[in-house]
Amino acid sequence: MIFTSLNFALFFLIVAVINYLLPVKYRYIWLLGASIYFYMFTSPIYILVAASIVLLTYYGGIEIEKQGDKKESFRLYVFTIIANVAFLIFFKYTNFFTSIVFDTINFSRQKLLHAGPPIANSLLVNIAAPLGISYLTFQAIGYLIEIKRGNHPAEKKLGHLATFLLFFPKIIAGPVERAHHFLPQISETKKFEYSNVSTGLKLLVWGLFKKLVVADRLSIYVNAVLGNADHHNGLTLITGTIFYVFQMYADFSGYTDMALGLAKILGFDLVQNFNRPLFAKSVTEFWRKWHISLSTWFADYFYNPIAVAKRDWGSWGIVYAFFLTFVVLGFWHGANWTFIVFGALQGLALTIEFFTRKQRKYIRKKIPSLANSIAGILFTVGYFGFSLIFFRSTSLKEAFIIIKRIFTARGGAIYIENPSIILFSIASIVFFMLVEFKKEYLDHLFTFSDNKNWLIRNCYYCMLLLIILIAGVFDGGEFIYFQF
Amino acid sequence: MTEVNLFIFNFDYSQSIEMGFKKLSAVNGYQHLLIKTGAFIILAFIADFFVGGIFHYFYFKQSSGWEYRTKYSIEDTRADVLIFGASRAQQQYNPDYIEKKTGLTCYNTGRDGEPVFYYYGVLQGVLKRYTPKIIILDVENNVFRESQDSYDRLSILLPYYTTHPEMRPVIELRSPFEKLKLQSRVYPFNSMLFKIAIGNTDFNKKRFEDIKGYVPLTGALDEPIRTVDLSKNKYAVDTNKINCYKSFINDCLKANIKLYLVCSPYFFRAVGEDTSMQIAKEIAKERKVDFIDFSKDKLFLSNSKFFDDTIHVNVSGSEIFSNKVADTLLSKINSNAR
Repeated sequence: MIFTSLNFALFFLIVAVINYLLPVKYRYIWLLGASIYFYMFTSPIYILVAASIVLLTYYGGIEIEKQGDKKESFRLYVFTIIANVAFLIFFKYTNFFTSIVFDTINFSRQKLLHAGPPIANSLLVNIAAPLGISYLTFQAIGYLIEIKRGNHPAEKKLGHLATFLLFFPKIIAGPVERAHHFLPQISETKKFEYSNVSTGLKLLVWGLFKKLVVADRLSIYVNAVLGNADHHNGLTLITGTIFYVFQMYADFSGYTDMALGLAKILGFDLVQNFNRPLFAKSVTEFWRKWHISLSTWFADYFYNPIAVAKRDWGSWGIVYAFFLTFVVLGFWHGANWTFIVFGALQGLALTIEFFTRKQRKYIRKKIPSLANSIAGILFTVGYFGFSLIFFRSTSLKEAFIIIKRIFTARGGAIYIENPSIILFSIASIVFFMLVEFKKEYLDHLFTFSDNKNWLIRNCYYCMLLLIILIAGVFDGGEFIYFQF
Repeated sequence: MTEVNLFIFNFDYSQSIEMGFKKLSAVNGYQHLLIKTGAFIILAFIADFFVGGIFHYFYFKQSSGWEYRTKYSIEDTRADVLIFGASRAQQQYNPDYIEKKTGLTCYNTGRDGEPVFYYYGVLQGVLKRYTPKIIILDVENNVFRESQDSYDRLSILLPYYTTHPEMRPVIELRSPFEKLKLQSRVYPFNSMLFKIAIGNTDFNKKRFEDIKGYVPLTGALDEPIRTVDLSKNKYAVDTNKINCYKSFINDCLKANIKLYLVCSPYFFRAVGEDTSMQIAKEIAKERKVDFIDFSKDKLFLSNSKFFDDTIHVNVSGSEIFSNKVADTLLSKINSNAR
């Protein structure tokens, strides 16, 4: 049940209406029930995994807080963290690690399967990862760390914690919420507020636009090109890669806008996940604007402890910490070497930017600010696009074929199977980027989306709906980040 | 509440609307939401109505392109012989040769990539207007293969939902919510903006040749001769497609149209028979409809100079094939006359 389907629209309408009809103190029970239903809609059996994580985190949190003995508390803390990570590793990474082990001892996965069903079945897990397992475990781990650090009390109501972890607008692809931000909202007395519904609906429409008009439209060309790299020349592959940058951003930020909008309608505020990253002037700035909830999670619970532990190393300690952080962040996306390379490339860029910060500052002073900004944006987007080749490819071999062909497959015209698809793709990017540009640089001058005049504001949203009807792809696929 | 109702309909004075809404703060949140949502829906409805009307006007005004061909097939052609099918119909049957030999007018309604739902929908539109004398339905391997794409492709027929009630049952197969989505006047023209714009110019006429619906392929195949075991090609069949195929035959028979089911040539040598082809032949046999099979025609089999790719003949192959079809039709017409 994806957010763009009419099934979901019906489900959400029922959830929202009943939510506000119920007395405030029972609303979280209703939302928890709806979240469980939503989770079970795709694969009912995995609710057992989610329930295990919730129970483990709930009792773990209470016991960590309760223990007077520091050593015992620490043991419990380590156990609950490891148990959460174990869930993630078992469902997401078992086959990856099994393959590495057997590759090392000269057993390819293929050979393993040919060795006969009993051995193969006992070593390779042929099950899909439960929906949103990465987000679920990361939120649970964050919650436990905050209790251990004494920053947040353990939640005493199991239903509240379960609602925090399983809340359906964010369960599949985030944002990665923090307990101190979300849990108090469950207990708050929430009156129905028109402004919440209005803001939520606006976010929903904008998210729908990004997903249906931009991301799914671009995916038609991107899949045709990057999915069949052998058949395309360098120019076509570069176009496909550029389109993929916009597709990725529109898809993920579109999903996030919808998640934020749905939560807002129900009276909840979720954390922001994007801040117009395609206008970042460096890779460092980019990661402050892209998937913010995940990068800040990594900063708080992974990067900072390592950087503190390695402070004796000076600058190299910082470099070591963020390089390792980005490799793990890349690997978090999936059990494939391609994601590790994706993360490593980010780490590499950050390392270079870290060591060249003085020189870059000096150069910035010498050239006009506009040229500096344009060059910075182009480099950052170009570099991110390059790393996305690994992100999208199913193997390193596939990624290297694309890169090789970009530089070697010259000649021939750019691939245009259907001019209409290209025209729609370009028009959608232009419109999307104009809106983003206006929000980034000209928001103080005028606004359509939040104009004080009712007619102008609503004409703008009518126009967005019409564009969705005219240019949206209604047979498109799932959100890219659902697989993580 | 009287005040509230007044400003909803006062669209010309946006400031009055704003002031009116400000007064709503006195009303509780639910009423506020209902009234504003209602006003927005009215605004959206008006915008949808006008923009949809513009799309409708320009869609039916096209003079070239794929959408124009579909429109011509459904609303304009009065040819004696109609050819139905997907790309293997569109790119292989040249109506000129059929007209020359039989003396009957002919139009090719085939459309690249379209499943049986499409040509059954087009047939409904045609039968509502007139009764052709002969219909040729090109049947190909995999025609009943289950695929979501086949349903998605029904979007091509969405502009006819309101104007052609006879096509509604087949269009509604697209999704359970299609009826609801089609309440919008813009939605039927989804993804068609540039096609319609180009279709209103002469650009398509320069892009590809269109000979009474036939679109010639000019390539030459460069592939070694190969044998394919079609019986090994296992797949799930779609009962909706089989039912549409049956209905297509039934409707033709009911209208006393002489129907010929034709399997056009393939490049590869086939061993065994494709599942869909078996079903198609059985149904034809049950209903006593002529099934003419050119798939193993020795003139074409593995003869690369007649093919653009392994499943489509090129312009030279089409000339020979269309003449063969015309000869067959002629002999059938003559034998019926005797």
